[in-house]
Amino acid sequence: MVTRQPVCAAALAAVLIVAISPGSAARLSPQPQPPDVAAVLARLDDLYRSKSSIARMEIVVTSPRSTRTMRLKAWTRGEDDALIVIEAPPREAGTSTLRVGSNLWNFLPRIARTIRVPPSMMLGSWMGTDFTNDDLVKESSMHRDFSSRIDRRSDAPPGWWLRLDVKPGVVGRWARIDILVDDANLPVEERHFDRKGRLARVMTFDETRTLGGRRLPAHLTLTPVDQPGQRTEMRYLELQFDVAIPNDTFSLSRLERGQ
Amino acid sequence: MIMGARLPTTWRIAWRNLWRNPRRTSLALAAIGLSVTLVLLYDGILRWEADYLVDTITGPMLGHVQAHAPEWRRTRAMDKTMTGSSRAVEALRRDPDVGGVDARVYAPALAALGEEGFAVMVVGVDMAEATRPSRLLQGLKVPLGGRRVLVGRLLAEQMGVKPGAEIAIVGQGIDGSLANDLFTVAALIDTSVDLVNRQAIVLPLAEARELFAMGDEAHELVIYARDPARAGPLAARLRGSSELAGVEVLDWKTAAPGMNDLVELVSVMWVFVLLLVFVAAAAGVANTALMSTFERTHEFGMLLALGTAPSRIVAMILIESLALGVTGALLGTAFGGALVAWAYHAGVDFAKLTGGGPTSLSAWGVTFTMIMRPRLAAIDIVRVVLAVMVTAILASAWPALRAARLQPARALRE
Repeated sequence: MVTRQPVCAAALAAVLIVAISPGSAARLSPQPQPPDVAAVLARLDDLYRSKSSIARMEIVVTSPRSTRTMRLKAWTRGEDDALIVIEAPPREAGTSTLRVGSNLWNFLPRIARTIRVPPSMMLGSWMGTDFTNDDLVKESSMHRDFSSRIDRRSDAPPGWWLRLDVKPGVVGRWARIDILVDDANLPVEERHFDRKGRLARVMTFDETRTLGGRRLPAHLTLTPVDQPGQRTEMRYLELQFDVAIPNDTFSLSRLERGQ
Repeated sequence: MIMGARLPTTWRIAWRNLWRNPRRTSLALAAIGLSVTLVLLYDGILRWEADYLVDTITGPMLGHVQAHAPEWRRTRAMDKTMTGSSRAVEALRRDPDVGGVDARVYAPALAALGEEGFAVMVVGVDMAEATRPSRLLQGLKVPLGGRRVLVGRLLAEQMGVKPGAEIAIVGQGIDGSLANDLFTVAALIDTSVDLVNRQAIVLPLAEARELFAMGDEAHELVIYARDPARAGPLAARLRGSSELAGVEVLDWKTAAPGMNDLVELVSVMWVFVLLLVFVAAAAGVANTALMSTFERTHEFGMLLALGTAPSRIVAMILIESLALGVTGALLGTAFGGALVAWAYHAGVDFAKLTGGGPTSLSAWGVTFTMIMRPRLAAIDIVRVVLAVMVTAILASAWPALRAARLQPARALRE
């Protein structure tokens, strides 16, 4: 129903990533003039998903033991709705995740069951990646839970460090998130600090290309700091924005149909 | 009489002296005997409690010695496993100091009867080991295998699961792949470990490995020592062994220091009990010795006048007290020992004793039943008899010295 923009990866990223900058308005002034934080964050937020998106992406999970590659297709609508379907490897094909608001369901074709992820499992791994279930649902609350400001100028690459501090009284996993955006207002790096103020994980953005009519980093790498040899990479292969997505896409019945 | 003709004269005289006042001596014997009986009974309960605590703490989950991959205890990460675990298990089972080995897999997962998922801990255990007495699944009659699992009762209540239900288990394989399958609930389990009742789904090791795409590996080897008291030395020895090379090996006291403190506390309580016997025996012996020396002042005067060495009088009085104490202690030991033996075989139900109190008690995440089976070790008896002897000598020292210092002339006039 909405515009049709594919962002498969966007869906995931949208879901997974905290804030990614939107490039449209704010990128006009590449001078070392501090950008407007709210605008940058809003853009980051929107970058991979827009009003709606369909994406196809590849995820590579590297651990000291093994390397695993998955191909996914993802649909997003607004901030709250997302559907992710695993297309490969065959063993996991059809496995899908539906997010509606803060609810998350997994559909498992092998046993033909749909299971809602309970709050107690939100910090568990999503499909064996370094992303947590929480990463899939939390991101829409970022601007609500964190106060943000420009922290400092970065020289290499030229850009700005934004600093997000969790608001008092908010319960959550991160106490602070630092985001580096370049002068094109594209994300370069995100650092997540836990409640004890320790750097817990780093996400880097690179391979900037034009996908779905936008220039954006197509390759994202999430590295948990305390687990040497472990990382998850996500690469957008195709991305469409503001595409029409059928109304029933974000429903349990659609989830079980897979694709 | 009992003492036989070959005992030194002093002993025979002392023994005879004791029975010159049969009623007083009998009363003293009864007092000492009763206190020894009580002490042994209490010691027996304490010993049962200490053994029982260790058993309850180590039996189901901890074991006496545990082995893990070095990082596992900190991270609890699925992929921190010990490989080649079946070879290690076989080698350990051949070890003469090892009474049993359970290889386990622990995996966090999502379990669901319908759509609602619940966070669970899937525990794969060696069924043969885990169903032995005082182990996690002691006395379990339900056969597993063929995708049949046990569900902790509290978890089952929360999930609305009954035996026969089909549940989905979804987790992450050790290679990061998606692990998911359907299982039938064979039975609900009530174990002594709260965490298991609240969170666990238990299934045979082989099926757990299959579900989580694991090979011949385990997260934990739980090792039971033949002699639980020697868990520390066993852990130290196994740490250096080839089958557990590169693996973290801990005895249960190190793995669960809080639990150990609890046991230590119980095991020093006998000291207070022994104080009790000192007081009771001291009162009994001191009274008897004082009375009997006071009323024999004339007699001692006579003996001294006839040339008896004062040391011999001291010896005689000490021996009287000693004989009194030892006889009382032996009587008490016989009676108390019999009582403990009976209680051990019958089992004392604490709930009945207190008129319908709780039949079990939960603390520190472990449930303790309240059926007492007191038991004694030789050291308990030796300790109490020695305590009585020492008390007897101390309590009669003053009367004995007083008798030895008597002036024969003055004593004779009394």
